[in-house]
Amino acid sequence: MILRETAWRVFAGEMNLSTLERKGDDEKAPTYLITPLGTRLSRVLVAGVLLDKENIGSPEDPLWRARMEDVSGSYFINVGRYQPEAATAMASLETPSFVAVIGKIRTYRPDDTRMYVSIRPERIMKIDAETRQRIVLETAQATWGRLNNVKLALSMPDASIDDLVTKGMTREEAEGVTEAIGFYGTPESTRYLKLIQSSLRMLLPDKEIDLGLPEDVSDMPDEIVIDEKTTAGDVDKEDLVLNMLGELDKDGRGAPMDELIRRAATEGIANTELEEITNSLMDKGLVYEPVLGRLKRI
Amino acid sequence: MKMEELTPHIEELKRVVGEKASEEELIDELNTYLNVYHVSIEAAVKGIKRKYGDETPLFVTASSIAKKIKEMTGDEKNVDLVAKIVYIEEKQITARGVPKTIFSGILGDETGTIPFTVWDVGKFELVKGETYNFKNAYGKKWNDKVQLNFSERSTAEVSATPIKTPERTISYSGDVKISELREGLGNVTVTGKIVSAENKTITSKGETKTVLAGYIADDTGKVQFTSWNDLGLKVDEAVCAKNAYVRVWRGIPQLNFGDQCEISRVDGIFQNIQSGLNKRSIADIIKVGGGLDIAVTGTIVDVRTGTGLIKRCPECNRSIIGDECTSHGKVEAVNDLRMKIVIDDGTGALSSIVTRDATESLTGITLDAAMAMASDKGDQDAVLKAIDEKVLIMNVTAVGNVLSDDYGPMMIVREIKQIVTDMKKEAEELMVKVEASL
Repeated sequence: MILRETAWRVFAGEMNLSTLERKGDDEKAPTYLITPLGTRLSRVLVAGVLLDKENIGSPEDPLWRARMEDVSGSYFINVGRYQPEAATAMASLETPSFVAVIGKIRTYRPDDTRMYVSIRPERIMKIDAETRQRIVLETAQATWGRLNNVKLALSMPDASIDDLVTKGMTREEAEGVTEAIGFYGTPESTRYLKLIQSSLRMLLPDKEIDLGLPEDVSDMPDEIVIDEKTTAGDVDKEDLVLNMLGELDKDGRGAPMDELIRRAATEGIANTELEEITNSLMDKGLVYEPVLGRLKRI
Repeated sequence: MKMEELTPHIEELKRVVGEKASEEELIDELNTYLNVYHVSIEAAVKGIKRKYGDETPLFVTASSIAKKIKEMTGDEKNVDLVAKIVYIEEKQITARGVPKTIFSGILGDETGTIPFTVWDVGKFELVKGETYNFKNAYGKKWNDKVQLNFSERSTAEVSATPIKTPERTISYSGDVKISELREGLGNVTVTGKIVSAENKTITSKGETKTVLAGYIADDTGKVQFTSWNDLGLKVDEAVCAKNAYVRVWRGIPQLNFGDQCEISRVDGIFQNIQSGLNKRSIADIIKVGGGLDIAVTGTIVDVRTGTGLIKRCPECNRSIIGDECTSHGKVEAVNDLRMKIVIDDGTGALSSIVTRDATESLTGITLDAAMAMASDKGDQDAVLKAIDEKVLIMNVTAVGNVLSDDYGPMMIVREIKQIVTDMKKEAEELMVKVEASL
């Protein structure tokens, strides 16, 4: 029995900090991204303000890249030709506007320590302010629930999955929390309480909400800032490689790999890095291998 | 190899094979194995034994361990135990499309009971009440319960010394709320009110029998029950049913009052009988598999193809393409309107089919309006698009029955309405909880 993956409500501030990926147990199960609070993400439902959008493909064959801001940071969004409904919707969305996204998690791992998380929407749509608030509320409630699960699991260090289930967690939650604590250690709860605080401030503007959290942890996690800069750098290199591929593809059968490697080296891109860039480009559906040893832009 | 060296092996073979082959035949066989195929003497002896019907397991991955039922964890690859057949029945199942007979039942020893299944019934003759030495069985976990399985390499021998099982010989889940009923619970005690009941005549194992069937409800939900004996149950009566058992049909749990069941009357103990709605999280529904009159609240996260205008066969009501029904040939198709949507509440996702009335009331698009829309635009998908625009990302409460099949649970929605969240109230509640914990 294959169940449809839950659309988890998760703040960018939690999602973007994730660096652990795990293949599901079932043969056909997807790879999950496990957040520091133990959410096993494959699909998400998120809302926020669409800030930038750019079609880096062509009008006929669009490839949209966009950034959506929630109370805690940015979601990076990529829409390509294989998401026709989302691509069509993307074209008519305005910036800035309230937007909701239901989509799959994509990750890009340039090296062992960094991982960039983005969303590939199945559906993306304009929403009203109230729907946006509702999704923020649901996300805050869900984040609160996960914090409590982590707290419970930390209070029972020897507990098995079954023990946690007995305490009221679902099996999925218990497994996720156990894995998250094992990999990330104890999460910095202040960071997540701040996400909830920001949500409550937005939802209850008349109330002075101060949970008395230390101010040294910024509302926007530092990682997001680093994220944007480095992502930008990598994106530039990807563009560079894309351009090279265009130039080297003289007969329309794709650029020969060996020439691409030589060319990249002159630009200061080493072989291993080039491989990562081309893998990422393939992942994004921008290039493919028509025959072995040749790479072609789509 | 010299004849003298072979003698002990031949003696062993003679003992095992017995009347089935003469000594000359055995020597010939052994000669072939050793001098034609050049296998080791041990392999040769084993091969010949098997050829003449020795049942010693051929492939044993680990040496077996002996356990008591209470010690079973469900990951035993090879386990021996001495146990009594507490209950056994023959079952017809379909395994990979092939009909198959299996035995299933309950085993007991001094320490407890365990459900078991015999997958290869040919070589097993098990009698209820008899104690057996079981060898080479394996454990498995199913629905969080440990089970014992017998494969073709398992054996059962009648034990000379019968063992005593504890008084209560059937796994017992104790008091269970109706919303928690699911397959694999064993015997349960349920307290609830008989909401409806009627006599039904059924045919079971070639016998005609009258049973009482109806619904019983408590403060958590409602479930169908069947009483196999006359227990004098009456509508509106609150009862406590001890030793009832659960069977599941298409994911929907059903409660059965069988021979072991004891009924006692209780005073009206429920303030809120859930004969109506049965509010559940989707994670909960997925765990149980299904149920009746369930209400879920969540977001519509997908509107699937198959939504909008469809045609149905007037005979069987199935949806058809064009005017051909696969069962009834060319028919005068009936137009209908429906939605196929996915509702997601953040704990799980539930596929749902929304009937015409409910679709009309949620979208405001009537069947007639939908037909006009489709013919205006000359596009069947126009209706799908119009519905999609209206309902995607909408927060709704849907009511209906949930069935399960290979594709997971599916709700047949008969009522659906938009829910407006009281955001201020819920945000304040969250604030209070968070502040209280700091």
